[in-house]
Amino acid sequence: MTDTPPDANAADRRLLRTTVNGIARQELVEPRMLLSDFLRRTLHLTGTHVGCAHGVCGCCTVLVDGATARACLTFAVQVQDREVQSVEGLGEDPIAAALRASFHECHALQCGYCTPGFLMAARQLLSETPEPDEETIRVALSGNICRCTGYVNIVRAVRHAADSLAAARDQQQGLSDAR
Amino acid sequence: MPGNAPFRHIGRPMPRTEDARLLAGGAAFVDDLPELPGTLHMACMRSPVAHGRIREIDTSGALGLPGVHAVLTGAELGDRIAPMVADRDKAGFRETRRDILPADTVRFVGDTIAVVLADDPYVAEDALSLIVADIEELEPVVAIDAALADGAVLVHPEIGDNIPFSIAQTTEGFEAAFAAAAAVVSDVFTSTRLAGVAMEPRGCVAQVDVGLDSLTLWSSTQVPHLLRLAIAELLDWPESRLRVIAPDVGGGFGPKAHVYPEEILCAYLARRHGRPVKWIGDRQDDFLTTTHARDSRFAVEMALSADGDILAVRNHVDVNIGAYACFPFGANAEAGGGAIYMPGAYRFAHYDFRARSVMTHTAPAGVYRGVAAPVAHFAFEGLLDRAARKLGLDPLALRRRNLLRPDEYPHVNAAGIRSDGGSHHECLERALAAIDHDGFRAAQPADRRIGGRLVGIGVACITEHTGQGASRYRTRGLLRVPGMEGATVRIESDGNVSVAISQSTQGQGHLTAFAQVVAESLGVDPEQITVSEGDTALSPFGSGTFASRGAVIAGGAAYRASQEVAAKIRRIAAHHLEVAEGDIELVEGHARLKGVRQMALSLREIAGIAHSLDPRALPEGEEYGLEARRFYDPPGVVLSNAVHAACVSIDTDTGQVRVERYVVAHDCGRIINPLIVAGQVHGGVAQGLGQALMEGVHYDETGQLLTTQLLDYIVPLAADVPDIALCHVETPSSDTLLGIKGAGEGGVIGAVPAIALAVNDALAGRGAMVSRLPLSPEYILSLMTMPAPGR
Ligand code: FES
Ligand code: FES
Repeated sequence: MTDTPPDANAADRRLLRTTVNGIARQELVEPRMLLSDFLRRTLHLTGTHVGCAHGVCGCCTVLVDGATARACLTFAVQVQDREVQSVEGLGEDPIAAALRASFHECHALQCGYCTPGFLMAARQLLSETPEPDEETIRVALSGNICRCTGYVNIVRAVRHAADSLAAARDQQQGLSDAR
Repeated sequence: MPGNAPFRHIGRPMPRTEDARLLAGGAAFVDDLPELPGTLHMACMRSPVAHGRIREIDTSGALGLPGVHAVLTGAELGDRIAPMVADRDKAGFRETRRDILPADTVRFVGDTIAVVLADDPYVAEDALSLIVADIEELEPVVAIDAALADGAVLVHPEIGDNIPFSIAQTTEGFEAAFAAAAAVVSDVFTSTRLAGVAMEPRGCVAQVDVGLDSLTLWSSTQVPHLLRLAIAELLDWPESRLRVIAPDVGGGFGPKAHVYPEEILCAYLARRHGRPVKWIGDRQDDFLTTTHARDSRFAVEMALSADGDILAVRNHVDVNIGAYACFPFGANAEAGGGAIYMPGAYRFAHYDFRARSVMTHTAPAGVYRGVAAPVAHFAFEGLLDRAARKLGLDPLALRRRNLLRPDEYPHVNAAGIRSDGGSHHECLERALAAIDHDGFRAAQPADRRIGGRLVGIGVACITEHTGQGASRYRTRGLLRVPGMEGATVRIESDGNVSVAISQSTQGQGHLTAFAQVVAESLGVDPEQITVSEGDTALSPFGSGTFASRGAVIAGGAAYRASQEVAAKIRRIAAHHLEVAEGDIELVEGHARLKGVRQMALSLREIAGIAHSLDPRALPEGEEYGLEARRFYDPPGVVLSNAVHAACVSIDTDTGQVRVERYVVAHDCGRIINPLIVAGQVHGGVAQGLGQALMEGVHYDETGQLLTTQLLDYIVPLAADVPDIALCHVETPSSDTLLGIKGAGEGGVIGAVPAIALAVNDALAGRGAMVSRLPLSPEYILSLMTMPAPGR
């Protein structure tokens, strides 16, 4: 809801240039359009979910220039000339791949509504802190709400992904030492 | 875990087949579905007052906004949509109605007074702000006592009071048993109203084929078949032209097992305007309009012998159910449950209960995971703690003494519920060992104080009513809950397996679990089986996913249908292999002579034969196709049981309770997939922790909702929930197919009392015991400053 005369909004569209999941985009958007709606409605990237639209639940977590951001608290026009990454764009990123595998193995998702947000937050955590302890994981994920899993398996999965990434690093190290 | 010897797939901790697309961001929750061409977006104007009479609603401003297609009020709608009538007049029940779009009276903040249709969701929201509603404000009743008072304002004046449901029952000889007691303990236990808070708010999309006058409705619902039934009834539309699809659903937990006005309105408006109509609720709207729960009060007395036998229990339950009886379950779900669920793991012969549902000018309250059981067990276990203190007995010894033993089963409890088994003692010992109860006690100081914290341990023994069949719903007087479930199992002509189940899944892993069940019968890999749910056009009729009925009843239906298909496969194979049917086994995608690899037909070959795509003919008299549709309706109800053990600490400065360690030993009979069962328990415990410590929906005295966002309504975060250790005890039920019992709700039912008992223990030095939920810091501080009673 807004106090501005609504028809003014449509008239007042801006040209937004941004990069989403590596693809350059140019779209006319209303200044009031949320990034979550831009991703979901304009670009049809519906993996980013909206659980509260108040910045509390973390379902809408995306990366803007590599840092996590709430798409529901960000206007689309704020990502002008920036790089946005959503769950669809994580692709073969090794941390994301390890997280997806661990989430599957550890049964860290049930309904899956919160999952994209957790993947983004956990990816950010592991890229900054490759070997977090349980406490660190719990604190780092406390910006995301999951109502299904009780977090038990999410925390285990993040720990598991960290371990498997560490093992892969060790192996890599071993290989290069042997060379 | 006990051996699962006869089973190859049932019992396997198989990671879920549903995960990959959810992890890739490829899920299809209702708002993720591609928008249909010409979609109109519906926005709902909610009543700003709790009780009022609509004088006039001026929609002209909204209609003048470009992009707005229509605005509808109750006055304009007239009687084109029948009201929801959940209960009929009969013993204990009074009929009330809910208008889909009230024209005269609004009964809670959130009642819908107008809807807008617009080309764009932002514009639809804009239009709401241009509607001017003139509503004469009337005095509301908000709380139970006010609604029960003499001369109280009536929510539905036609029933004469605010009590649409009441029930009372007393076992014969109750009074004498009670009078003979050496000790009586009593208290009043209350629970603050809760919201279910599925992470996906409700939403739906309706599409009508104008020529056929047929509807497809996608909705975030737990009950696609019951929703279809409701649309047919309220819009007078043949069910044969209605299809309801629950796509991916982002959590349900009970509230989405109700039918809501928005679903009916979308269907109606799509038909009226010949265009798709979409409504997606937001979180604030969800707090306002999605059903609440657990706004209840249990006044309980327990009579015991001097050595601690429970002789008789009296339980008077009042539940605030808000402004309307929920559709389709009606007014009685929580109150009736509060009475029936109380006799659980413990033995007692005499029971006197009275349960009432009380209407107020607040959002409708209905089923939420565990329904009334978490509070019923909180009250019962709380009384046991009081009894132990009064009789000078060790709380654990008192529980061991009264817990039903395996040799007492089958057992009919004092509420008349029969149960075929219960492993309470085994679960208790397993839980105590896993949490190192003795070690904890040895380290716990007499005054409970370690540094700035008080530490305590709580152990609660609970049961969970699962897998309720048709007979239970009939006994409970529910009109529109069939009780059974159905499954279709079909081998396609290429030998691949399709399964359609009458339920819908909101994250419980049905697609994996039911594939495991069918794989067991057909001897194929579960990964190769495609299970679909949630689509009334694809699946047989059934009830839906609620009350921990999925594994038991839908699992049973899937098993039956797959067994029937397996029998036909055997007949065809036996015919062509020229051996006896009884000598055929189904393994690795083949039907073969037992142990003889060379004497085999692949499922693909058999499917070819059954679909006349193979030179070989079907045996004489055999029908074409390889498909079976079967239903399962279990007898009565099957009780799962569990023991929850929690260690907590209380910050003596702030009153904040932290759960430090948590163990569950539980028995849900035969387990289909232990990974999924564990997930159900974890999630339930977290929701129970939320109810025990932090969650609460609050209205002010005028009926304004104060908790409208996740900033005000606090749910547990990762830092609030400890790791949870699980012990599976597996006692197959003799009453259900495959021996399955349900597991969806035990987590929350056990967590509420276990955490409360742990807090009692931590406060023990002060003599205080908790009696109301949540155990908020303010409440705990108030208990800590109370003078110790009886000292
Ligand atoms: S939807 Fe953005 S934080 Fe909840
Ligand atoms: S898996 Fe359902 S909310 Fe997290």
